[in-house]
Amino acid sequence: MSSTASDHRLAGLRKLFPVQRFVNDKASRSAFESDGLTAFRAKPLAVVIPETADEVIAAVRWCFDNDVPFVARGSGTSLSGGSLPVADGIVIALNRMNRILKLDPESRTAVVEPGVVNLKVSQAAAPHGLYFSPDPSSQSVCTIGGNVAFNSGGAHCLKYGMTSNHVLGIKAVTATGEVVTIGSTSTESVGPDYTGLFCGNEGLFGIAIEITLRLLPKPEVFHTVLVGYDSLRAAGDAVSAVIDSGLLPGAMEIMDALSIEAAEAAVKCDYPRGAAAVLIVELEGPREKIAFEREQLSRVIAATKPVVEMVAKDDEERMRIWKGRKSVFSAVGRLSPDFLVQDGVVPRKRLGEALVAIEKLSRDSGIRIANVFHAGDGNLHPLILFDGNVDGMLHRAEAVAAELSRLCIAMGGSITGEHGVGMEKRDFLPHMFDENTVDMFDRLRRAFDPKMIANPGKMFPGTEAPALAMTGLHPLEKAGVIQRE
Amino acid sequence: MNEPLLKPTCESDLVDAIASCEHVVAIGNRTKPAMSPGSGVTLVSLSAMTGIIEYEPSEFTFTARSGTRIDEVRDVLSERNQYLPFDPMLVDAGATLGGTVASGLSGPGRFRFGGVRDFIIGCVFVSGDGKVIRSGGKVVKNAAGFDIPKLMVGSLGRLGVMTELTFKVFPKPLSTLTLSVACESYTQLIDRIQQAASSRWELDAIDARPNELKVLLRIAGPQEANQAIASEITSRWTGDVSELESCEAFWHSVTELTFAPHRSHVVKVPTASTVFSSLDHHVSAAGNVTWIATDDVTDLDAKLTKLGVPGLVVRGEWSASIVGKIHTSHMSRNIKTAMEPHGRFPG
Ligand SMILES: Cc1cc2nc3c(=O)[nH]c(=O)nc-3n(C[C@H](O)[C@H](O)[C@H](O)COP(=O)(O)OP(=O)(O)OC[C@H]3O[C@@H](n4cnc5c(N)ncnc54)[C@H](O)[C@@H]3O)c2cc1C
Ligand SMILES: Cc1cc2nc3c(=O)[nH]c(=O)nc-3n(C[C@H](O)[C@H](O)[C@H](O)COP(=O)(O)OP(=O)(O)OC[C@H]3O[C@@H](n4cnc5c(N)ncnc54)[C@H](O)[C@@H]3O)c2cc1C
Repeated sequence: MSSTASDHRLAGLRKLFPVQRFVNDKASRSAFESDGLTAFRAKPLAVVIPETADEVIAAVRWCFDNDVPFVARGSGTSLSGGSLPVADGIVIALNRMNRILKLDPESRTAVVEPGVVNLKVSQAAAPHGLYFSPDPSSQSVCTIGGNVAFNSGGAHCLKYGMTSNHVLGIKAVTATGEVVTIGSTSTESVGPDYTGLFCGNEGLFGIAIEITLRLLPKPEVFHTVLVGYDSLRAAGDAVSAVIDSGLLPGAMEIMDALSIEAAEAAVKCDYPRGAAAVLIVELEGPREKIAFEREQLSRVIAATKPVVEMVAKDDEERMRIWKGRKSVFSAVGRLSPDFLVQDGVVPRKRLGEALVAIEKLSRDSGIRIANVFHAGDGNLHPLILFDGNVDGMLHRAEAVAAELSRLCIAMGGSITGEHGVGMEKRDFLPHMFDENTVDMFDRLRRAFDPKMIANPGKMFPGTEAPALAMTGLHPLEKAGVIQRE
Repeated sequence: MNEPLLKPTCESDLVDAIASCEHVVAIGNRTKPAMSPGSGVTLVSLSAMTGIIEYEPSEFTFTARSGTRIDEVRDVLSERNQYLPFDPMLVDAGATLGGTVASGLSGPGRFRFGGVRDFIIGCVFVSGDGKVIRSGGKVVKNAAGFDIPKLMVGSLGRLGVMTELTFKVFPKPLSTLTLSVACESYTQLIDRIQQAASSRWELDAIDARPNELKVLLRIAGPQEANQAIASEITSRWTGDVSELESCEAFWHSVTELTFAPHRSHVVKVPTASTVFSSLDHHVSAAGNVTWIATDDVTDLDAKLTKLGVPGLVVRGEWSASIVGKIHTSHMSRNIKTAMEPHGRFPG
């Protein structure tokens, strides 16, 4: 579209926002052209930056009336292309809606705007001895709106579940412009669990404008253990041993040698040398209970033949262990110019088998893969390392990622544990769910969005949004609508 | 009531049953009659579609047909020291898995780790146009596709007929201990519920009987730890704190709703700790649910309407499943149409 034609078209939307919060100059549009998955890029027509719920509602209603697609965007940390703009659409950027509207220690709830950063909720709750349990590794930047849309997870899902387990109520504007209030401030409800359905909608139903969260009391003590093994498989087996012993740890994470190397180089976390894999197990709870459970854990671990074991003596050591784990994603940037993060799930008992298959895939493809994962949930996060400047490399990395998705489905798992289907995995949705089910997903989506203007092209296979590969130009690229750098 | 009754024994028979009837009401053992309105409908009973299909203790998951009785599930899980932490309701009365999900009922244990919504991970159901839909999955973490299993919680058979359900389970605590805390006033009772809920103790259940000025605290874990926590609570809240001798019987009276007078209706009302002051009877999940026993549902209906909250009639016959204030929206109507375009299930 020529810029005057689009200016004319956007005139009505422009009127809804003050000058500085409606942007469609080239630089601003470029700033929003991709999310955490930079392999996909598309410049939106314009970006609006609402500061109030009413402005969001007005923008969505304008989009509905004018048949213009929109994408809600939190911090853009999606790793599956979920907040990638639609080339002929609007980005509704929610970062300025970052107020905690109410924090009620008595009912242990917080009511927040969608742009509130995840970690801020726990920080605000801390003086009351409370916290917000879902903690994606991106928690210092990602927003609650993004967490809700993706039903995000983190290291602590095994015990406390994902985002939707901690969302009590949502006020949202659906893609038709209807404002709905679902759920409440109670953990119980009557009638279908619409809140549960809304979580994980990947921005396809509408925009959450106010979210009521459940807060939990902070565990009194933590007991964090780092155990080294001489093979990945041994680490995987140790996870099952812990589970079978009847313990319910707050978190169980595994990192392989490549991840350890990256973390060590980046943050000097002092992980034990020479291990092929490390397992982090964290128990949490009242001190009396942990005193008992730590003995139990230590007996279980001893029987798994570890090469080394390190128990965090204090908070500082515990933080160092977690710093290593949490830094892996950014740290592999030191090992490789580009990487893709995979997010498949396999049944826990098949972890060992999956790891062997991943190692083989890496050998066969000549592509290095670093493994970190939420082992307690069977949630794999292979980091597929490549150099985008080398011809055809992205394509090969994507082929490896695709192979991993197929592997997870074949093992009875899921194509995504927590990052969403988004753009990256939409072609796999029909591999995981049969035709009737995908059709039902589509019917539900149309119940919220009959015109299909909310984040079109995501989750469902289709051609509405640009799919970029490094081989040849995409038609939209040829037309100058999208570009890559 | 003598509505026609079909009792399919397999998925394809169920599909045929739904496709061949104009109005269908799914039932388990039909013991929450207010939730399955009759008259002019064909009842489709799931009571012949039973059995645990898969149980993977080391995955923390099981899959069972929806007509399976919860007591069967409970017994199988406990052989491996596992359980459903949300304390399913009416287990001894014969509740089925499907009826539990459709009615959205959770017991006192929902306080610690969440309710039935937080433990359902997969659901196979037949939609109103006779399609078999397989949503969710069998692994505990899964963000693929829309979360229809959660939507089914509380759906009262209005959105689809469930045939197979997959749940997450947890290891069973080594032991439990229950304290009964007598309070001097209503204000103190509320205060103690809130303190207990935010405490370091990580209690397993926090319930209350406001009319008896009593708070009931269940502690779960290794026995020595439970004792230590119990004595801290006792010394902190000096006064009448005692260990319940008959704790199993007490919690049983809550989950089976036998605490309420025999003939009365029992209505579940979601509450936040601030709302229930004007209501009475058994309060569960640290103030998040109130179970109201009443002889006068009309009066309660009016009260709840005034408060702007809904209530679910769980025991006793009544002309409506939901009393008090219910919200409908284009969204909820559109969802229903999407799932059952022909309007076969109750409205
Ligand atoms: C280093 C790194 C580590 C990560 N670790 C984890 C992890 O451990 N666990 C995990 O789950 N994810 C992780 N992620 C992915 C990502 O951070 C999360 O999925 C996060 O929830 C996205 O939040 P966001 O605010 O950035 O959302 P965006 O990327 O801006 O948006 C994500 C999706 O949400 C939609 N959306 C945003 N706001 C709203 C709203 N208000 N209403 C409706 N839809 C909305 C968007 O349209 C899009 O579909 C990680 C990402 C990075 C870069
Ligand atoms: C001996 C005995 C004693 C009892 N005592 C009590 C008592 O003291 N207190 C009490 O409250 N109840 C009592 N009951 C009632 C009963 O056992 C419980 O209410 C039980 O939970 C009913 O569960 P159900 O699975 O039979 O659900 P139903 O009552 O059959 O159905 C409940 C709701 O779920 C829906 N539904 C059921 N199955 C499905 C499915 N597969 N898919 C979709 N929707 C479905 C129905 O349409 C309905 O809306 C008793 C029952 C018996 C037999």
